Amino acid sequence: MPKPIIQVEKLSKLYDLGVVGATTFRDSMERRILNLLGQPDKTRKIGLKHRTIALDDPQAGPDPNSIWALKDISFTVERGEILGIIGRNGAGKSTLLKILSRITEPTEGKAVIRGRVSSLLEIGTGFHPELTGRDNIYLNGCILGMRKLEIDSKFDEIVAFSGIEKFLDTPVKRYSSGMFVRLAFAVAAHLEPEILFIDEVLSVGDFDFQQKCLRKIGEVSKEGRTIIFVSHSMNAIETICSRGIILSQGRVVFEGSQLDAIRCYIASSTENKK
Amino acid sequence: MDTHKERDYEFIIQPNKSWFYFDWKGLSYYRDLLFFIVKRDFYSKYKQAVLGPFWFIISPLATTLVFTVVFGNMIKIPTDGMPPVLFYLCGLLAWRYFVACLNGTSDTLVSNAHLFGKVYFPRLIPPIAVVISNFFSFILELIVFLVFIFYFKFFTLADSKIQPNFIIFLLPLLVIQIAILSMGIGLWISALTAKYRDLIFLMGFLTQLWMYATPVIYPASMVSQKWRIFIVVNPMSSVVEAFRYAFLGVGLLRVDYLLFSAVATLVIFLSGLLVFNKAEKTFIDTV
Repeated sequence: MPKPIIQVEKLSKLYDLGVVGATTFRDSMERRILNLLGQPDKTRKIGLKHRTIALDDPQAGPDPNSIWALKDISFTVERGEILGIIGRNGAGKSTLLKILSRITEPTEGKAVIRGRVSSLLEIGTGFHPELTGRDNIYLNGCILGMRKLEIDSKFDEIVAFSGIEKFLDTPVKRYSSGMFVRLAFAVAAHLEPEILFIDEVLSVGDFDFQQKCLRKIGEVSKEGRTIIFVSHSMNAIETICSRGIILSQGRVVFEGSQLDAIRCYIASSTENKK
Repeated sequence: MDTHKERDYEFIIQPNKSWFYFDWKGLSYYRDLLFFIVKRDFYSKYKQAVLGPFWFIISPLATTLVFTVVFGNMIKIPTDGMPPVLFYLCGLLAWRYFVACLNGTSDTLVSNAHLFGKVYFPRLIPPIAVVISNFFSFILELIVFLVFIFYFKFFTLADSKIQPNFIIFLLPLLVIQIAILSMGIGLWISALTAKYRDLIFLMGFLTQLWMYATPVIYPASMVSQKWRIFIVVNPMSSVVEAFRYAFLGVGLLRVDYLLFSAVATLVIFLSGLLVFNKAEKTFIDTV
């Protein structure tokens, strides 16, 4: 039995809302000096008076204004599986993807990833307007985790997919927005990671583009890749995923087949409306 | 999927990894990205400028001209008996590389926040790219400087004073020292600016002040004993003076100063690496 490709054990992430305001050097020094003088911390006091997080809030953290964006998340994903993650806004879906793709660190817990990871995120990340289409394909491909040799071998395919052959040596800043999007998506679509994270919130686009995205995801899944798919579209989850988990207030509240997950999610949201 | 490949890619996500945990494997994996970022930085710098790459040569010459007129001709600051143009060009050669790297690396986290918030690659890649792409500008400036030395040595009366010597062989080490010193300070500032944006505004003053504290527009030999200590503790002073000594044969070259400067550089670089490495892991939550 091979080890699961993604293994998440009791992953938690704490966000400190009180610190958000204290981003300048002055604020920080002021607090430190007040502390030295033995005076109560102004920001803390405000925090205590206007407690934004209620004591009985299930997400309340150890400090008055801290919040568990994720708490004790555990699940595993087997190789080739497509896991859908559903949940309301603020349930922790994007935070989870951020931790798994190593953009930020968890506060507690651990995750083991056994494969090359890519995320299909806001396309065109890292494009440079002054560079030509050709240079941008390489730059963007490398940012997304490809090696130069890989891009070399897929270069013609990427160009054909995007349909911008004629403008390959034109700076990207002269492209129409449509050309830009096509080129950016072409690069992202030719990534060949073993694990792919897709956050739908991040990949907005018109209907055609979304259809193209979904078709591509379908193709990719047939090649045996592992995908974690975050979406508000129950339709997409139902057709693409093989399993689903529901996140609510930073916890996993349901884990099972994607159909059961959708049913459970819809039931819980109608319940809440009553 | 063979097991070898599996082992290659396995990584563990955990909080509070040790201060000394570095993603060396990632750095080597992303070396192609480094190459393309260097290429981007170098090529896009003077795009859409009529004179294009000539700016690499014009900007040091323009600064030298200003220094020669103001400090050399008007105020008449001594230049160790060298033609002022050579004296300033040499000091600026070292100093400009230092400042370019410092400015480029010090805002790594903030200016790349949009990228770092969306995709993972080793966060050290952009600062390393800055140091490398500026190295190419340095080489161009070095060539210009050598042309000037050649001219002054063989076509003017100053020929006998200009004595390039074997210290030139130290040059690669000195350049590496400038690179890691500026990167070390840049990493410190970058880690701090992730939280305290104020430092960005202080950078202009800092670099200006530092230039006056470094013997760029005056020779270290002019500094009185009382102030000598500032020349010693500033790691850039010995580097600039060593540059002058190597190319022109004038300047304050002392092994103890150079050694101190090298040790200070290493301490700054290694501590900067640690602080940056620590800040980089969660900075996206506070930026």
